[in-house]
This record gives sequence, structure tokens and C-alpha cells, in this order.
Amino acid sequence: MSTDPNPGRTAPVLAVEGLEVHYGPRRRRRRALHDVSLSIAPGETVGVIGETGSGKSTLARTVLGLVRASAGSIVIDGEEVGAYGPRQWRALRRRGVVQYVFQDPLRSLDPDLTVEDSLAEPLLVQGVPRTEAAARVRAFLTRVHLTEDLLDRLPGELSGGQRQRVAVARALVTEPRLVILDEPVSALDSANRVQVLQILKELRTDGVALVFISHDLGSVAGVADRIAVLYQGEAVEVGAAADVINTPRHPYTRLLVRSAPTLHSAPADRAEREALRALLHA
Amino acid sequence: MSTLSEKLQAPAEHTAKPVRPSQPVLSVREVRISDQAAGREIVHGVSFDLTPGRTVGIVGESGSGKTLTCRAALGILPAHFEVTGGSIELDGHDITGFSTAEWTSLRGSTISAVFQDPASYLNPSIRVGAQVAEVIRVKKKVRRREARRQTIELLRAVHLRDPELVYGQYTYELSGGMLQRVLIAAAIAAGPRVLIADEATTALDVTVQAEILDLLADLREQTGLALVVVSHDLAVVAQLCDEVLVLRQGEVVEQGPTHEVLHHPRHAYTRLLIAEHEQYGLDRFLAPEEDA
Amino acid sequence: MIRRVLALPSGRIAVVVLAVIAVLAVFGPLLAPQDPLATSDNTLAAASGAHWLGTDYLGRDVLSRLLDGSRVSVLGSLEVALTALVVGVVPGILSVYLGRAFEWITLRLADTLVALPFLLFAVAVVALLGNGITQAMLVTGVLVSPLFYRVSRAATLAVARSQYVEAAIVSGASLGRVVRRHVWVKVLPPIAVALAQTVGVGFVIVSSLTFLGIGVQPPAPTWGGLLASDLGYLSHRPWAPLTPALLIVVTVWACNLLADAIRDVSGEAGRALLNNRRARANRLDKADPAPAGGAS
Repeated sequence: MSTDPNPGRTAPVLAVEGLEVHYGPRRRRRRALHDVSLSIAPGETVGVIGETGSGKSTLARTVLGLVRASAGSIVIDGEEVGAYGPRQWRALRRRGVVQYVFQDPLRSLDPDLTVEDSLAEPLLVQGVPRTEAAARVRAFLTRVHLTEDLLDRLPGELSGGQRQRVAVARALVTEPRLVILDEPVSALDSANRVQVLQILKELRTDGVALVFISHDLGSVAGVADRIAVLYQGEAVEVGAAADVINTPRHPYTRLLVRSAPTLHSAPADRAEREALRALLHA
Repeated sequence: MSTLSEKLQAPAEHTAKPVRPSQPVLSVREVRISDQAAGREIVHGVSFDLTPGRTVGIVGESGSGKTLTCRAALGILPAHFEVTGGSIELDGHDITGFSTAEWTSLRGSTISAVFQDPASYLNPSIRVGAQVAEVIRVKKKVRRREARRQTIELLRAVHLRDPELVYGQYTYELSGGMLQRVLIAAAIAAGPRVLIADEATTALDVTVQAEILDLLADLREQTGLALVVVSHDLAVVAQLCDEVLVLRQGEVVEQGPTHEVLHHPRHAYTRLLIAEHEQYGLDRFLAPEEDA
Repeated sequence: MIRRVLALPSGRIAVVVLAVIAVLAVFGPLLAPQDPLATSDNTLAAASGAHWLGTDYLGRDVLSRLLDGSRVSVLGSLEVALTALVVGVVPGILSVYLGRAFEWITLRLADTLVALPFLLFAVAVVALLGNGITQAMLVTGVLVSPLFYRVSRAATLAVARSQYVEAAIVSGASLGRVVRRHVWVKVLPPIAVALAQTVGVGFVIVSSLTFLGIGVQPPAPTWGGLLASDLGYLSHRPWAPLTPALLIVVTVWACNLLADAIRDVSGEAGRALLNNRRARANRLDKADPAPAGGAS
């Protein structure tokens, strides 16, 4: 387990320490996460990379209180939430500190609610009066490059890229301190992918911390300050994005870098991939 | 003609291969495809030639017509879609007016395909090996035992570890990457000359995607298979293809040798696809090769 | 939703028929030209100017009895449907949220109710609580309620595991808010379908119970009771059962038609249906086919 190379000077928004998550009945317990530590400073974007089954979604769901940790501590905005019950979680969530963006924008928006209703929901939950919520939704739209004429549409009447921008807007409209994005651009095509990544980059100026989860190193490379690589439930490498990509230390990270589709792939990558695969499977 | 699996079983033979006859095995000329129900033309003229051992890539977003073009070449356009202009020649024969029987004999043995979401192309209640063996039994008219032997050879050829074990497994026991390998094995079982890979690696993890792309490159080099690689990701196509077509709303906005398209893109959309990687992808960090 | 149902021809027909039945139910007893209970010597008469539908075996005017009986028949079936709705839907939705114990108990209760033969049960309860339409209908309603329980539970289960519900929970939404905002709208269409269907079933049940003499005291007329008494005198008036039978059939049919219409316009299928219609209308509007785009 590598340690955090450059912890933020200010208190971290999220600090996970020695996190363990297990699944299944007692006899056939499966380890989803093992001794994961990670801390994120305000305004920082951290990419969490891992393949299917690496535990990256479990990490997100544990931090959000949807999955219970077996051991370890989770500190969100100065609060130790590891032992929180449902009531305390709800109180924390209602303050709008943490929000979540799902991979599939078609299923993460209620098909029967208009864009305006979907966007206003997290504000109304917080107890913001209806008129003020509507005003804040309108004010926020431009931040995600959407126009007001979309407000009374249903998700089914939007393009995939617009839907994902609505989902991002819903997460950010409460001005949270921490947003966890689970594969936010994987289902989008190039033009929309660029647009959503652009929006995420712009949002960092607000001081919101982003956890960007993806299976593809390539899609977080452009926005992440730091990258954590999860492999079989363990964080095998955490470091500055440029370092992780240019000088990967763990064989799995090296394989990831050599596997990511790039425009100028060299034939030498192929031989290196073969060698790394052999090493990892040994 | 020896079939692909036979070629794969005799590695000594392909030292001298691939032979490259200039005769294209798949020739698409100004193909236009229309949705007859809506009375709308969806694909406005796509042309390319594919010779054995070469690879053509088609890049475009969903709805750009890239899948329809592939389906036209396979003779499996969806209901009320029709080729309304141009021609498609497969191994020297114009496909317009092919009967169902002619298509059945061509598919698998001349042209074959793999798609996204491999699990939905396999029956979950039949062992995967038996499903590949069925292709061999039907296409090559061999006995069960021989079909099983050839299937295991094929599973080995697509780099599945322990092919005997995989033969007896069901879809739920295999990962997405393994399923896609099984489908590739089934697709090349009857020794096709053209293989279409339509978003075949899109749903897979990046490291698995690279493995599948490497496998396709191997097959091409060993057997002279001609590939059509379809993807929304320019980088996937760039990795494997000699020639690239960029499709947007049914129109070819850019076409040329991969190197040309990457280094001297003419259309704004192609530049956007490249910018995606250079600004937001790994290319931002990895030093690009110098322009030749 | 109502507007979308009315956009369908089948929905319009169903609503018109049910409106007529509703008018009969409200004003039927007032519209009756003669006293439905008054007997006369003119028994089993054929249709005539004085008695449009003839008279029954006690010389009572059949038309008056049909009109007078419509209120009880309609009210009875509504009672069945509404009881089933209340008894079924609420635990159905809550069974998803209130934990394992509640879920298990309600599921077993629903299984038990399905297993009970409802006619026998209704006879037994009526014997216990006294013979009245309300008692009989409440019992039947409870026995039909597993349908609502299962429909609402299935619909809730599908929504409860969706990402937008999870997103709402992560935003701090309470259980009540999630149900009101997200679950209710998705559960409503299948329940409306089940309700329309149950009103139809209710008619058959009211009719068959009165046919057996349960629920309604003898002199009071109902559609099922009329059918029963007419069937006894088939040799004298072979066409007489036709009118009450037809009324029952048409009402049940209209209810089922409405249920189908609601099913067709709600949810994903409904949106697709409306889109298809819109697309077809657009196509008709455009006289010339879309121009073919030029390629290089």
C-alpha cells in the first residue's frame, strides 16, 4: 500500500483509512476492498481506476453510506461516518455535502420527472423553498452548458449527452463539497465526452472535490490531479496523474497504460503488454 | 482452400504467408442505405476496398450509420432498411439479389462478424464449446468428435487458457473478454475471409480490449484474414487499421490511410476526435511520435 | 394520463359506456317509470307500450327493475374494487420498504387469501355478519386484494432498485418523499389497470352472488337477480334474460377496454405508442419524401 504523496494543505474533504469491505454470508465471504487509504483535498480531482470487479464501485458506495464497511475509517468533511446509522446518514446527506453521478444517464434520471423537477429535488430535500430552488436551478444551468428551454422536457426527450449533463447538474446544484462520479463519460460518444469533461474541469474552480471513477485511464487522464489504481480490491498505486502515467510502478498500472487506446501506439507496446500479462497471471 | 482453423493448427506453414492478392475480398461502392418506413436515407454513399490481410476502420458516433453499413455487407439489414444505391461485392460476387440459401452458404465461410455485448449472442443454457462445435459441424460437415477436437484447437487459437475447461462451461461462468474470444472462435470457425468487428471491444475493460485487439491482429497476420473494425473510438481503430473512414450522420467526412488521417485531418469532426485524445486522453502525457 | 386515454378510440368508447352506466347508477331509480316493487296480475307479459321490456313472474315492470337495480349493482362492484385497492396497494408498496418480517407476513397472508374459495367464504361471512350487500362486497374485496398487493409490490420493486431512487436517497430524501415523488407515479398505471379490471370482476361477482341470493334481500332488484329470476321462466319468455345479461357484459367489457387503454398509454410502451402516432402524422403532413442527402 503506497502512501499519499502530497496531502492537501487544508483539511481533506474525504479521508479513507484502512478501509475493508466484505461481501456475502459469513462462510463464503468475499473481499471487495482491502486496506484502501485515500484522501482528497478541496478542489482536487482524483481518478480511481480499476477493471470490473476491482472494487471501484464498492469504494464509491461505501463512501456514500450505501454499503457498510467491515473495518477502517471514513471521514467526510471532518465527520467520522464509519459507524453512522441510517438516521445520521440522512442528516449528513441532507446537508448536501456528498453527491453521486451514475454511469448510465438514461436510468439515473426519473423518466416521469421533467428536467426542472429532477434538478430541484436535491434542493427541496434540503428544505430550500420552491421559488428559491427554481431560481437556483436556472442559475446553475449555464454552468453545465444547458439552456432553459430544456427545463420542461422529460429525460426521454434529451440526447445522451444532455442527460448526463443534467445528471451532473443535479449532483452539483446543492454546491456539495464532494462529488463521486461513477464512469460519467463511459456511455457517451466523443463530442459529448469532451463536453462533460470540459464541464468537470471548469467546476474545479469552485473548490468542489471530485472522485472520478473509471475503468479507462484515458478518460480521467485529462481531468485528474491524482490517480489511484485499484486492482483486486487493493489500491496498488496512488500518485500524481503525470507520474502514474509516465512512470507507473506497479505491473498492473503499467499494463493499463500500455493497454489504453492511444492515437500513436508503438509496436513495442505489444511485447510489453504480453510480458506484463504473463507477470500478473503468474 | 484450407480453412482458418487448419491454418492455425499448422503454424509452420505461415512463415511465407500472408500472400496478398490485389483482388479485394470485400468491395463496397457508393453504398446508400435508406429507412423505407420513414422514407429517409441514412447512409449517403460509403466506399472502400478490402484486400486479404488488410484492415479498414470505420469511426463514428451512435447513429452515424456505421453499423448499418456493416449489416448491409452481411446481408442482415433490419426490417424496412434497404440498400438503395451503389453495390457491395463479396469475393467477386455482387450481393444484391442473393437468395437466402446463397447468404447461408456465404456467412461464416466467407464473411463473419462479432458484435458488442457477447453474452447476448450465446445461449445461456448450452455449454459454449457445444455452440462453437455446432458451427463447425454445420459448416464443415464433420463428425461430433472431430468438431470437438477442432473447437478446442480454435479456443486455444483465440488465446483462451485451458480450452478443454472452457469448452464445458456456460456463459455465466465466463467473463466478458472470454465470451468475446469464444464468439471470435465461432466467427472464424469456418475460415471466413472477412471478419467484421462491430464495437466488439466497447463493453470490455481496457486491458481486455487490448488483448482482443492484439488477438485480431494475430489472426490477421497468421491467416490473411481481412478485418473491418467499427468503433466510436478513433484510437481503437488507429491501433489496428490501415485505412480509416470517419462517418458522421451517414456521410463519410474523412477517408484515407490511418497515418494521414491522424496527422493531417481535414474535417473538423476528425479534429474533434483527435482533440479528445490529445486534450483529455493519455496522449496528453505520452510524447507523440514526430510527424513523418 | 386521462387525456392520453381519451386519445385512443378504445379509451373513448370505454369512457362513454361507463359514463352511461354511471348515469344509470345515479339517476336510475328516479328514471324508473313504475314502482319496481309493485306487483300486478299481468305476469310474464311480452314487451309492450306500457311495459317496454315486459313484466316478470310477479307482474313487475322489468325496465323499472333494471333501472332501479343499477345503483346497487354499480355500487357493489365499486365497493369490491375499492376495498381490494385499499387492502392490497398499501401493504404492497410498504412490503418493499418495511423490512423482512413485514414482507414475509404480508406475502403469506396474500397467499392464504388466494387459496380461499371466495364464494364459500362469502357465504360463511354473510351467515356470520348478516345478509347485506356491504358485508358481502367487503368480504369479496378482501379476497380479491392479493391482485392489488402483487401488482403494486412488483411495480414498487422495479422502481425501488432504480438509480434515480438511489440518487434521491444519496441527496438525503426520506422514504416518504421517495415513495411520493418517484414510486407512486410508476405504480399508478398498473394499479389503474388492475382497478378497471376489478370493477369488471366486481360486476360478475355482485351478479353471481345475487344470482345465489347472497348480498341483496329478495324484493330489491339487481341485474344479477333479474337474470336469475328470468332464467326460471325461459319457456315463457325466452328473450327476457338477454337485457340484464347484455348490461352486465357491456359494463364488464367497457371496464376491460378501459384497463387495456390505460395499459397502452402508460409507461414506456405508452410513450412509444404516442411517438408512433406522432411520426405517422408527420409523415402524412409531408407530401414529398425527405430529400436524399448528397455525399461526396
